[in-house]
Amino acid sequence: MARVAKVEQPAATGTALVVAVGLGVAFLLFMAFLNVVKSGNVLSEPNLLFGALIFYAGAATLYLGFGITGTPSYIRYASLATWAGLLANTGAVAHRWYAAGHPPFASIYEMLLSFVWTLAVLTLIAEKKYGVKVIGTVTMPVAIVGVVLMQLLRTEVRPLVPALQSTWLHVHVTLAMLAYAACALSFALAMMFLIKDKMKTETFLAATSVFVIATYLGVLTRFEKWGGLSVVAWNEEAKSEVFIGKGMRLFVTIPDLGWMMLLVLATVTVPFVLYLVWRKTNNETFINIANRAVFVSILLQALALAFFLMRARSGEYASLDADGLFPTSLAASPFILSGLVGGIFVSLLYLLLLWRRNDLERMLPAADELDRITYRTIAIAFPLLTLMIAAGAYWANRTWGSYWSWDPKETWAAITWLVYAGYLHMRITRGWRGRRAAYFAILGFAVVMFTFFGVTYLLPGMHSYA
Amino acid sequence: MAASLPRKVWQTLGAIKTGVVLLILVVILSAAGTVILQRPTTEPDELQRAYSPQILRVLNAVGLTDVFHAWWFVLLLALVSLSIVAASVQRFPNAWRYFSRPYKSPDQTFCNSLPLHKLISVKDEEVALSAADRVLHKFRFRPERIVRENSFSLFGERNRISEVAVYIVHLSLLLIFFGGIVDALYGWRAFMTLGRGEQSSQVQPQNGKARNLAFAVRCDSAGRENYADGSPKKWWSNLSVLENGKVVLRKQIVVNEPLVYGGVRFYQASFGDTGKLDKMTLAATSRDSGESKDLPISLNETLWLDNDITVRLAEFFPDYAVGDGHVYARSNNLENPAAHLVVESKKSGKSVNVWLPPIPGLEENAESPYAFQGKDVEMAYFTGIEVSHEPGQWWVWAGVILMGLGLGVVFYLVHARVWVVPVQDAQGQVQLWIGGTANKNKDAFEHRFQELVTQIENELKVSTEMPVEPSAAVFARS
Repeated sequence: MARVAKVEQPAATGTALVVAVGLGVAFLLFMAFLNVVKSGNVLSEPNLLFGALIFYAGAATLYLGFGITGTPSYIRYASLATWAGLLANTGAVAHRWYAAGHPPFASIYEMLLSFVWTLAVLTLIAEKKYGVKVIGTVTMPVAIVGVVLMQLLRTEVRPLVPALQSTWLHVHVTLAMLAYAACALSFALAMMFLIKDKMKTETFLAATSVFVIATYLGVLTRFEKWGGLSVVAWNEEAKSEVFIGKGMRLFVTIPDLGWMMLLVLATVTVPFVLYLVWRKTNNETFINIANRAVFVSILLQALALAFFLMRARSGEYASLDADGLFPTSLAASPFILSGLVGGIFVSLLYLLLLWRRNDLERMLPAADELDRITYRTIAIAFPLLTLMIAAGAYWANRTWGSYWSWDPKETWAAITWLVYAGYLHMRITRGWRGRRAAYFAILGFAVVMFTFFGVTYLLPGMHSYA
Repeated sequence: MAASLPRKVWQTLGAIKTGVVLLILVVILSAAGTVILQRPTTEPDELQRAYSPQILRVLNAVGLTDVFHAWWFVLLLALVSLSIVAASVQRFPNAWRYFSRPYKSPDQTFCNSLPLHKLISVKDEEVALSAADRVLHKFRFRPERIVRENSFSLFGERNRISEVAVYIVHLSLLLIFFGGIVDALYGWRAFMTLGRGEQSSQVQPQNGKARNLAFAVRCDSAGRENYADGSPKKWWSNLSVLENGKVVLRKQIVVNEPLVYGGVRFYQASFGDTGKLDKMTLAATSRDSGESKDLPISLNETLWLDNDITVRLAEFFPDYAVGDGHVYARSNNLENPAAHLVVESKKSGKSVNVWLPPIPGLEENAESPYAFQGKDVEMAYFTGIEVSHEPGQWWVWAGVILMGLGLGVVFYLVHARVWVVPVQDAQGQVQLWIGGTANKNKDAFEHRFQELVTQIENELKVSTEMPVEPSAAVFARS
């Protein structure tokens, strides 16, 4: 992540950006090349993935730069970088497919691989076909988070357990990835719409603050006595979490990290409180302080992330449930990690909006055009979701003897479907356009994310291997 | 007043607001069902560990530990179905009128209010109409001639089905619900375990008493293949269906390939060690001659080693442990096997106990005339078969297919209509009024409409061999 952050930083500077990104990419590629020389294998999957990460990061920076400065050449280079990233990503997918002997959909690692690939493809389509040029500002960071997460997850090709050896599985998961990527795109478009639709910047402040506060509240559910933060213990040899019973993970407590998170929570709450005060008093001073507080909170969030990376990457900690010291690893806490990274990205995007709103708006298609494209994306996502659920049900029927068993993943897929069905009904019968439709699209994507990640990690169920 | 109450209920059921409230309730309750541990999928003691007794009592009382089978959840789904029915029935007649009686002959008010239309000056009404007819054909609008008071007009349309497609989707949802209800009422799921060669016509539902089938199922053989790392790759069972003692069907089932007979489906669900030995091989070496031979043996089988000596496999433990001078099985997994052999001399009538591996205090291995080694241990497996009867599933699949088609039509087929009417302007000059409308994707249709108009103009130029008046052409293209 540190590497990515380095590339991200020049975003504020003006025309030197392309050069800076180019140098950054070249430097990282050179470093990667040194690694390759050492290991003697060029086209291995980790290398391809690393290449994809570098190019996606470069693309994200350029998209951000385009959003900020409006320099048209950035978008060309950003597209080029996306193409290059996509190429490397395709290589990684192909490599994986070849090595595993089945399409890369069997584990959450493989699904992320496919998801990021689809997202890059859709980004390029949205850009070329629909002219939504700054879409990459939102989708590329998502792709980066995806690739970074992949680095942490277990990557070895694991043999398919009998239940997964089915063509229907591949149909099911392909449809899921396509549908989810379309949902991600509709989310990005809805955000763009809200910007173009002159939604108050202050409202974005409130929304981003709530998101970040919720993230840290979530992280702090792992707060332990005396300021510790509990994370799952990790068995390096087995490359898996340590279990002490059926479905019960062993937690270890990293001392003092809990205080750190609590401090950050307090900092990220400040802008929101100030926003509320502003709503009451209408005194602009409060909003100005709030914006500065966001800036400070980003620094603290980055600090929290740095501490978390240092403490949770390796090291042995005591547990409350068992005697002795147990190791942990970043791979054991993908949720906390993506939460922390996501929080920083969201706050950064808010600052981008705050500082460069006018330039950003100039770059976007008209609001009702964005509204229409959002609807059209959901019109693609919804049938895909339907077919995905149907294929999953058919597969379950062939494997477990029941097409619907109210397993958490199934239930949440149904909830996702219902949310989008609600969107369509409100839009078609009630004529919901614009704002309300955009909120709905955002809600839909939030549910999709929960179905994708949340259910796998938080809730018990039969989808445990995915 | 009394008569209007059912009507009011009916109206409320069909209101979009009711539908949305019901859907939100479904979402909240089913989300609760994924967060709270559910009885059917959780061990009872795990539930007790997770919740305090008071909370558990409350959860049980309101049914939150089994949301998806609680009466109020079923009631909610029934209400959702009713709401869909009510909404569809209330709105359908309108759509059906639209569908069954298309508006073919536009009147003056309609012509004036239609946003998308063009006027073309023409010389000859009939020539112009047939030109328009050809172009509409080419655009696959299947035009028809409509008789008006003193002229003909044209009406063409595409994908009229799009107007009622949403009802197809609603119908498909009801089909799926219907299938689900049929399965909830008449379907069942059960489990049976069969060892090799065993047969049974009885299956055991998770709750409730055993159920008898009209036929029996026999497991002829079963086995598994493992990956190199020991995780399972494939489980299979060869099953035979017997009716009145006669085999009527044989099939190998694997995890994704069930056996279906008489509406009952048999799935390979699990696989396990019975803890019993199927057979093993003994390597016996004579202490006198040093001669060695391999003998396959199964439990309680007696084999002759030579004219005098016999060996019997008396006991086998897949995972043994010793305690209080006894050997006992710790588990059914083949982890730490031990075999108890009895070697007997027929002549002297003397028998010795041989243990593999030697167990101090029990073994008399040194006294045996043969030294033994065990190898190639094969365990008897049992196969776990999930049995299910789902008479409603065909309704569900029919609903799914219908829904796929319906959604395709809803989102991607546009009902487009075009009217061509000859009119006269103030000077008595004949003009062709062309109007069009689409029920969605309107901007794309607008392009298509412009193209259509341009082609009609071109067609007119060719067919009449007469240049269109410049003023008219400009008007049409503007």
